[in-house]
Amino acid sequence: MEHESVPLYWRNIPAYYRLVARRCKRCGEVYFPPVLKCPRCGSNELEDVELPQEGELVEFTVLRSVPTDFLKQKPVILGLVKLGPAKVLGQIVDAAPEKLKEGQRVEVAFRRVVVDGKYGLVMYGYKFRPRP
Amino acid sequence: MIDVWINGAAMMQTGRHYSLNIDEMGAKVLEEALKDAGYPDLDAIFVASATAEQADKQQMLGAYIAARLGLDKVATFRVENADGSGGSALVLAASAVRSGLYNCVAVVGVDKPNDVLSNQQQDIYSTATDSVYERFFGVTPAAQAAIMAKLYLKKYEYKYEDLALWPVLMHKNGASNPYAYMRKQAKVEDVLDSELVSDPLRLYDVGPMADGAAAAVLCNRKGAVRILGMGSATSSTPFNARQDYDVLYSAKEAAERAYKMAGITARDVAAAEVHDSYSIFGVLAAEALGLAQRGQLLALLKSGADLNVNLSGGLKSRGNVMGATGVYQAVEVAWQLLGKSPFKKADGNIGVIHSMGGADKISTVVVLGL
Amino acid sequence: MSRVGIVSWGAYIPRYRIRTEDIAATWGDDPQRIVDMYLVYEKSVEGYDEDAITIAVEAARRALRRGKVDPKRIGAVYSGTESKPYAVKPISSILVDALGLTNNAFAVDMEFACKAASDGIIAIAGLVESGRIEYGLAIGTDTSQGEPGEHLDYSASSGGVAYIVGRDGVAAEFEAVYTFNSDTPDFWRREGSPYPMHGEGFTGEPAYFRHVVGAAKGLMEKYGYKVSDFAYAIFHQPNGRFPMRAAATLGFPADKVKPGIVVTHIGNTYNASALMGLARVLEMAKPGDRILLVTFGSGAGSNAFALKVTDVIEERQRADVPKVGEMLDDKIYIDYATYLKNRKMVKLFE
Repeated sequence: MEHESVPLYWRNIPAYYRLVARRCKRCGEVYFPPVLKCPRCGSNELEDVELPQEGELVEFTVLRSVPTDFLKQKPVILGLVKLGPAKVLGQIVDAAPEKLKEGQRVEVAFRRVVVDGKYGLVMYGYKFRPRP
Repeated sequence: MIDVWINGAAMMQTGRHYSLNIDEMGAKVLEEALKDAGYPDLDAIFVASATAEQADKQQMLGAYIAARLGLDKVATFRVENADGSGGSALVLAASAVRSGLYNCVAVVGVDKPNDVLSNQQQDIYSTATDSVYERFFGVTPAAQAAIMAKLYLKKYEYKYEDLALWPVLMHKNGASNPYAYMRKQAKVEDVLDSELVSDPLRLYDVGPMADGAAAAVLCNRKGAVRILGMGSATSSTPFNARQDYDVLYSAKEAAERAYKMAGITARDVAAAEVHDSYSIFGVLAAEALGLAQRGQLLALLKSGADLNVNLSGGLKSRGNVMGATGVYQAVEVAWQLLGKSPFKKADGNIGVIHSMGGADKISTVVVLGL
Repeated sequence: MSRVGIVSWGAYIPRYRIRTEDIAATWGDDPQRIVDMYLVYEKSVEGYDEDAITIAVEAARRALRRGKVDPKRIGAVYSGTESKPYAVKPISSILVDALGLTNNAFAVDMEFACKAASDGIIAIAGLVESGRIEYGLAIGTDTSQGEPGEHLDYSASSGGVAYIVGRDGVAAEFEAVYTFNSDTPDFWRREGSPYPMHGEGFTGEPAYFRHVVGAAKGLMEKYGYKVSDFAYAIFHQPNGRFPMRAAATLGFPADKVKPGIVVTHIGNTYNASALMGLARVLEMAKPGDRILLVTFGSGAGSNAFALKVTDVIEERQRADVPKVGEMLDDKIYIDYATYLKNRKMVKLFE
């Protein structure tokens, strides 16, 4: 039986659960996804940093043609969200697309992302929702 | 430096080739291209494919294509750069000849996305996004294209109706291309009435997934069309971290390098095939190639200007043949320069192709000349 | 040294609601009779991508935010639930990583039907009192099950609450706690069974009332409390009637009970039921107020707590965290088909 890779999910838990990004100790630039070397200043000295839990919606789209894991959740709203020093692309949930606006306040939500069939792992991660 | 010439080329009609295996399709066009080239001694095959492993469960596709034709002992290479595989394979194949390593090589682009269901096509296409940070969350290239389209239309104050001019032009071009998948004209209203795929993009903004195969034989022996310049580049900034969403950085950089190598400017381009997997990418690619100023391509279309872009119909009308696309484009542009059927002769001697993987992740630009 | 108590709290109610009348219309019940019987007008429903784990994380994050507590100082996380997404695999370890606790925080899932979360509070209070940990998190979270068309379908709902227990910055001190347990099989769910079974009327007198009233009475007798000592009384809320009747039996006037009643608008959130009522009361309580809290779990048992609100409460109430009152109003109504979809009660290929 085909199943999702557990190590692939497990090793990314810090990013999926807490939006752990990487900050360059020399120039202060923050990268999400994390980088191994600062593209801006070339420094190898980087540290983990959690992105803030609140931000604003930059732009979004309502995706109707979705991959298999999301067939029962279509349409999926995908939005670019500015979270402090970084932008993140992710799902927007609990929202009516016609009421979403750019610049709107959103907060990080913790949700199921992929459920590996009936017996496999339930994989969690960040999504975003309009701030009540 | 050794010149690289296209000695032979072939492609098959795109569509749903349910009765052919992926290696058979590759072998079919390779045989035709070799015949077109006068059956030279072949040193190597470079196979471009985006879906062979995922849709057809086949690795080392080159070896199996060779086996179908009895091409024993030929060197085979498999090149994968998602839907930009074709352009990348062309560059590697041409480089191998240019370096003197080989005298004659073939580039075969082949993909059969219709061997899987539509949702599985999305699964495969989404592996062209960052698997951990994008694909995992349901992101597909369509969603990224949609966000870029929204921001482009906003920034340059276009209406969606303006973007709809691209698919209309593609359908007009593709209607007379017997190799194309969607061979019918479309009106702006057809585009506006089509279903939303990822707003603002509608069905007509999306190149339909098609099975296809194309091949070109590249040799150091003089042929009809020469490879004048090649450029490849990645745009390494993650989609979420981009500064601007109204430009294809990878295409711009690849074009600059290819034009420089060929010693041409955008004004010299008489025929161009660009990677319009989504209409917005066609617009942005044409701008990146210098065929219009940044933000001005749609204004050009609105003014009724005659653009020699995607006379094949592009991915929209010819079909999105994924990793085979770049090879199709090379054959199409070569034939346009030569005036070979079904294309009428281009008004000039220089043509370019733009092949792209994902949403501006990698691009290849190749300049062809008579 | 100050007393151990609730330092902070956080609540989470999913935004989706289904009206009792829409459930009744589907199953041929008289909606008015159902509402009269249970006093549940609508109930909360989790989103398709929510479960007891996501709800626990949301509630706990709000508790940390409200109390401005550094997650690294949380020494234990105990989750009480009866709707674990996994039969075997802990919720609490997911909470360790989702909340950014240290790997040395004690972590365990607890089960005693709807009472487990309050047992978590007691266990954590013990760890704090013994000096073993500085703060601990006790969470009640459920996406409780009810067989479609069966009476639980009208009340079983989804929500979560998290309490940070500690000695520093206490907003409500634990003055006393008392428990009452017995083998009373009023409600159960066998391994592998999708929905619980219950004894209808048997869930009342011998189960809910005997244990709730027994624990409350025991607490008041043992520690010498009178009804008038309490500003609020909060009881487990399987429906809107039971807590009112328990209060009346104990002699509490309705106005001390009503502020903590949430079941009427979100249904029975099981492990979050009475604790959600407490969260709501803490949002309006004043320093010096004493609160009686009585939880109940089928099978059966009750924990009764006497809590005394401190001056810290005002700062906690000012925190920028969604209030239970606000969440009761922040809702998206769904139809019964969407309800079945969100709760994964539609049979799909898997």
